[in-house]
Amino acid sequence: MREKIRTVFEELWAEQEEGPAPALADDTVLLETGLDSLGFAIFVARLDEELGFDPFSAAEEAYYPQTFGEFVAFYEKHAGRSAAAE
Amino acid sequence: MTAAGAVRLGPALAARGDAVLLLPGRDVAGAALAARVPGAALAPALGAGAALCLDDPAELIGALAALDGRAARLLLLAPGLPAAPVSELMAAAGLSALVSRREDLPGAIAPEAAFAEGSAPAPQETDWVLTTSGTTGTPKMVRHRLAGLARTVKPAPEGAAPVWGLVYEPTRFAGMQVVLQALLGGGRLAAAPEGTPISDRLAHFAASGVTHLSATPTLWRRILMDPAAAGLAPGQITLGGEIADDAVLGALARRFPEARIRHIYASTEAGVGFSVRDGRAGFPESYLAGAPGGAALKIRGERLWLRPPGMPPEPIGPGPARDPDGFIDSGDRVAVEDGRVRFLGRQSSAVNIGGAKIQPEEIERLVNAHPEVALARVAVRPSPITGALLTLSVVPVAAPEDPAALRRSLAAYCREHLPREARPAKITIAGPEALDEGITAAGKIVRAPAGGEA
Repeated sequence: MREKIRTVFEELWAEQEEGPAPALADDTVLLETGLDSLGFAIFVARLDEELGFDPFSAAEEAYYPQTFGEFVAFYEKHAGRSAAAE
Repeated sequence: MTAAGAVRLGPALAARGDAVLLLPGRDVAGAALAARVPGAALAPALGAGAALCLDDPAELIGALAALDGRAARLLLLAPGLPAAPVSELMAAAGLSALVSRREDLPGAIAPEAAFAEGSAPAPQETDWVLTTSGTTGTPKMVRHRLAGLARTVKPAPEGAAPVWGLVYEPTRFAGMQVVLQALLGGGRLAAAPEGTPISDRLAHFAASGVTHLSATPTLWRRILMDPAAAGLAPGQITLGGEIADDAVLGALARRFPEARIRHIYASTEAGVGFSVRDGRAGFPESYLAGAPGGAALKIRGERLWLRPPGMPPEPIGPGPARDPDGFIDSGDRVAVEDGRVRFLGRQSSAVNIGGAKIQPEEIERLVNAHPEVALARVAVRPSPITGALLTLSVVPVAAPEDPAALRRSLAAYCREHLPREARPAKITIAGPEALDEGITAAGKIVRAPAGGEA
């Protein structure tokens, strides 16, 4: 999951931004990567296509992860849920 | 064209002994279309009027010719309309009789059963109720009179009867305008039953020697790419129903150098329209002081408002906004630049992305101007973060050797020309089969309602 998310991030970065993509560690603050809310929205839409789910739309309560680690954990939690539902 | 009440479809057709309706493999004379006109009485079931849901243009026109001036109200329904909205619309229009051959519509009577022997009812003005081409939900109804629908009909010049091609659905405003122009204006109409593929329709038009063709910009882009249109040589080209941009106007001028090209702005809500003949998108700012056809125009709140010269059509149910001076809100967003009023898109298709108001039509216009693009479509998808995001689907002029490279080039093009919020989040390259997808019965690109979850 983590690697998949990282790959999609790097692809998106190459398409939308200049220069090399920043490295993503667990404590990297998402808004400090250079991704604004629009970029973030596109990132989530792209992950929805790649992974087949969008935890932000699926979540009952609004959740705003701040770090890359929290972001990945949110996806992992929802991936587990969709698998359990099947 | 004439005083209100003087136009009658039946007698006008009865006077035409020649073939006025050209269908694939079958020509129909005007007198044959009007065969039920003299002396026929309405079947008692018709009562005050009837809904018509017929997919054969000859049957539809024949029923209209027979019922106009006799029935109090006629409701024209698209042949493919599902059963539920058919009964909803009939109830809202106060009609219980339905003339149709569809077996899934309960109580439908065939056209030949709609008339009985006996004396014809006293003549009366007939309401022609047309539906608007909404893309979602039940269509809205607008009540017209034949005289109003035929107001823009011009008589054909001596010796050169035009042949009009019908790509629109004849029960819609745009389609009925073509039908009436052809049949009341002394010309002929080339048409095909509902469901005929566009390529077959174009081949039929070419074989019928169509001289006048009216279609949406979306359909014109489609026609420009269709080998079946090779034999088509229209002398007059009309674009309407959507924004005509400089790219499609230019492409048509190159492909059909002999043709007169005009684009029409028409508002079903206001029942008015005017045409622009200078080959450029939008219309001259001077029209705000007086538009052709006598309609009054003004811009209020970035939108175009219109006041028709005569009585506006009456909506059945909630209608568009009207101001105290009699102007009707067209719902079309416009901007004035360099003496030209340009259309930005429908108010209802504007999308809010991260707080910016974006008009998908504007992005389509930009991408359609890209040399490698034949057709661009923008779709809206909901986003939990920005409310909405745009996706772009492109049919290239030729199949690209490297689709990924074309995608990158289009992304760079969008970055260069569009503000960040308006740039598509995703670009896909589609094959030519996508040309026929996502087009409404009225030939327009399907758009989700603003803020919709579709």
